[in-house]
Amino acid sequence: MAKADRKSASLDDVIKDLYLCNKCGFCQPACKVYKTDLNESFSARGRVQLIKGVAEGKLPVDEGFRDAVNSCLLCQECTVACPSGVKPHELVLAARRYMQQTEGLPLDKKIILGTLADPFRRKLAFSTARFLRDKVSNKIQGFNDLKGIDVRGLPIDKTGFIDQVPELNKAPVSKGKVGFFVGCFINHSLAKTGHAIVKVLNKNDIDVVVPKKQVCCGTPQNAYGDFELAKKNARKNIRLYKDLDAVITGCGSCGAMLKNEYLHLFADEPDFLPEVENFAKKIFDFSTYVMHEIKLDPQKFKVFHHKVTYHDGCHMSRGLKITKEPRDILKSIPRIEYVELREADRCCGAAGLFQSYFYEIATEISRQKVQNIDNTGADIVVTGCPACVHRIQGSLRLTGKEQKVVHLADLLAEAYQ
Amino acid sequence: MLTQAMIKELTAIVGSQNIITNQAGLAAYGYDATLMAQRPVGIVFPRSTEDTSALVKYANQVGLVMVPRGAGTNLSGGSLPLENSLVVCLSRMTRILEIDPKNFTATVEAGLVNFDLQEALEKYGYYYPPDPASYKASTLGGNIAECSGGPRCFKYGVTRDYILGLEVVLPSGKIIEVGGKNFKSEFRYDMTRLLVGSEGTLGLVTKAILRILPKPFAKRTMLAIYNKVEDASRTVADIVAAGIIPTTLEMMDNLLINTADEHVKLGLPRDAGALLIIEVDGYEVDLDKQVRLIEELCEKADVRSFKVATSQAEADQLWLARRTVIGSVGRRRPSYSLQDVTIPRSTFPQMVDAILACSRRYDLPIGILAHAGDGNFHPLVLFDERDASEVERVHKAEVDLIRDALALGGTMSGEHGIGVLKKEYLAWEFSETAIEAFRKIKRSFDPTAILNRGKIVDLAAEG
Repeated sequence: MAKADRKSASLDDVIKDLYLCNKCGFCQPACKVYKTDLNESFSARGRVQLIKGVAEGKLPVDEGFRDAVNSCLLCQECTVACPSGVKPHELVLAARRYMQQTEGLPLDKKIILGTLADPFRRKLAFSTARFLRDKVSNKIQGFNDLKGIDVRGLPIDKTGFIDQVPELNKAPVSKGKVGFFVGCFINHSLAKTGHAIVKVLNKNDIDVVVPKKQVCCGTPQNAYGDFELAKKNARKNIRLYKDLDAVITGCGSCGAMLKNEYLHLFADEPDFLPEVENFAKKIFDFSTYVMHEIKLDPQKFKVFHHKVTYHDGCHMSRGLKITKEPRDILKSIPRIEYVELREADRCCGAAGLFQSYFYEIATEISRQKVQNIDNTGADIVVTGCPACVHRIQGSLRLTGKEQKVVHLADLLAEAYQ
Repeated sequence: MLTQAMIKELTAIVGSQNIITNQAGLAAYGYDATLMAQRPVGIVFPRSTEDTSALVKYANQVGLVMVPRGAGTNLSGGSLPLENSLVVCLSRMTRILEIDPKNFTATVEAGLVNFDLQEALEKYGYYYPPDPASYKASTLGGNIAECSGGPRCFKYGVTRDYILGLEVVLPSGKIIEVGGKNFKSEFRYDMTRLLVGSEGTLGLVTKAILRILPKPFAKRTMLAIYNKVEDASRTVADIVAAGIIPTTLEMMDNLLINTADEHVKLGLPRDAGALLIIEVDGYEVDLDKQVRLIEELCEKADVRSFKVATSQAEADQLWLARRTVIGSVGRRRPSYSLQDVTIPRSTFPQMVDAILACSRRYDLPIGILAHAGDGNFHPLVLFDERDASEVERVHKAEVDLIRDALALGGTMSGEHGIGVLKKEYLAWEFSETAIEAFRKIKRSFDPTAILNRGKIVDLAAEG
């Protein structure tokens, strides 16, 4: 970043929003991090007040401030709960951008975010991770629980999904065509879910285009304030899907990024904005597309003798505001026993890099999720977010639980057997 | 500032995970839900009564003033660190020690959030009646310190009516237990009642034995909408005069209907002058008759519409709107001044008139929110803290509202406490002899004013 930019970086554009907070504290129960740590700096109100302190020049950006701002899950629960209409998660994003511009990202984050943004480096990183998992960590006794993350159980595909399939995946009978935005996790660690999405769409006479040149949606970069890098990827993706009328995502975070956050990123580029708006309109989460656009026929499903429950990812439920469709789809499967999960829409503890930087809090949040899952008596947990699949499955496995966590598409693909 | 030696000693007591001394942390504990702010010198989180006692003893040794704190949702500045204070935050003492439905009691640590207790009691079919609007965030220790009320007070009373016993760390660091699980006991000096509502000036409550009740068999939630706030206020007086005691009788005026609806999106009529949320509970067979009586009284006062909630979800949404309404005014102006003046119920309409007049006098928007059944008003004066001339007018309006309430035979504080905000008006309500008695009580517990100094009353020795 050029020096001039660094100097001009400020929080002035959010001052008005910072003053909206009248400190009632009603966001405290909505903040899982606060409820776990019970420390005001790690609450939505605390973060907003600290950001206000920095914006007014009354507080330095120091370790305590960075921790407060970085400890946000971006789960958006506080934004829903706030009576005054403050959007703390957006203020946290503004503060992270400010830190990125004024002091740059710490080296580890810079490497991770840069790697995810670049398809070649991303591929290399996942294969290295796979190598290390198989050749190193699996050989060390007891080395499976790395800071609450089930490293040994973490699936990493040898070849990424995008490289496993052709660009055009034709249905036997073709009645329509959609693009598929694959996303990092489905590409490298849940290829089976990628295949499931293609299968369900093909079964319903929809051709699926998987553009080879698609890149990371930009969620991780956006989350830590590197808006420029996120924009760079956004531009590529927007152009890549130009000729398609519908783009399917299989990840709540990717979906919310493509559909909502791109609009924020380009709000100050009026020339490009119409193209972004057009792109946003084409984004469908897998669940809404199969429910509303192709109208699944439950008659075609096999009988499914399982008790299932559903976990809403944060970006699925509060980002994309999708809660009804996945449940309705599940309930439509013959003989399935659906049971509602307590606190179904509360964070599972993953929240991107949060789980490794604040692992003690993340582990406690996941423990509660596992407890709630256990209480349902369900043997299958369904969700629409790959990151949640990994986090919840890992947390279940580390505590010796047998329940399986699957993506909604995995379950539907199986129902079509 | 804490010296390195002090930090070392405090850390030895609570552990390194339970002490904060960095700038951001100090800033985060320098405010509550009022507009005031002042950074403390440190924050400690005791995890037990013994920790708390050791902390207080150490603070006495080195002369550190302490401020007790729970969730920091205080509305009178009672939990604000005023001067070089150490915040003793009880938020991490959250255990439920016992739920004893057979004896109608629950024993809890002070940092437990009111709502978290309600959730635990739900499994037993019980509940704890005091329910301040902040109950999802505020701690029971904080509720006890402020003697919090809530919408259900009209029928069920306030916090003091539900505290059977307390464990308290005195300003000396010694631990005492007052009251107990017995429903009745012939108290000599009723220490429990003296401590409830003492705003953390007499001791640090670490545990409490609460009275709990079985959940009512049935409930009806009614929504009455009026064209004019005066009509709603007439209904309130009529219901009280008719000898009906609803569980709750809440009023919101036009301004608040609008901000609440912007948050909760209930589809309330934006042009209505006021609404009443009325709830009755008890045995199923009694309720329809009560609802009919209330409906008749509403109609007598020219109600625009009267509706009984048809589902629990509908009632819950209405309550969500009511409970979050104070925060929702942020949608109009960034700052608010909130009073909790309380007047004899029969003078309800006069107080409404006084608030309307005050709003006109100072050209300030004032939202009228009231636990109408209790005569407890929450006038919300809206402004922008960055506008100096507005701030001055707000201050004048506050003074007038308190004077108006006192003139009607009321009190300046129904449930938020005196704290710092209302300290300067104390002499209007209490005689010099009474205030001196307050000081003597404070001195007998805390001669050096080491605990929550400068709240409610100042001791001469404090300078």
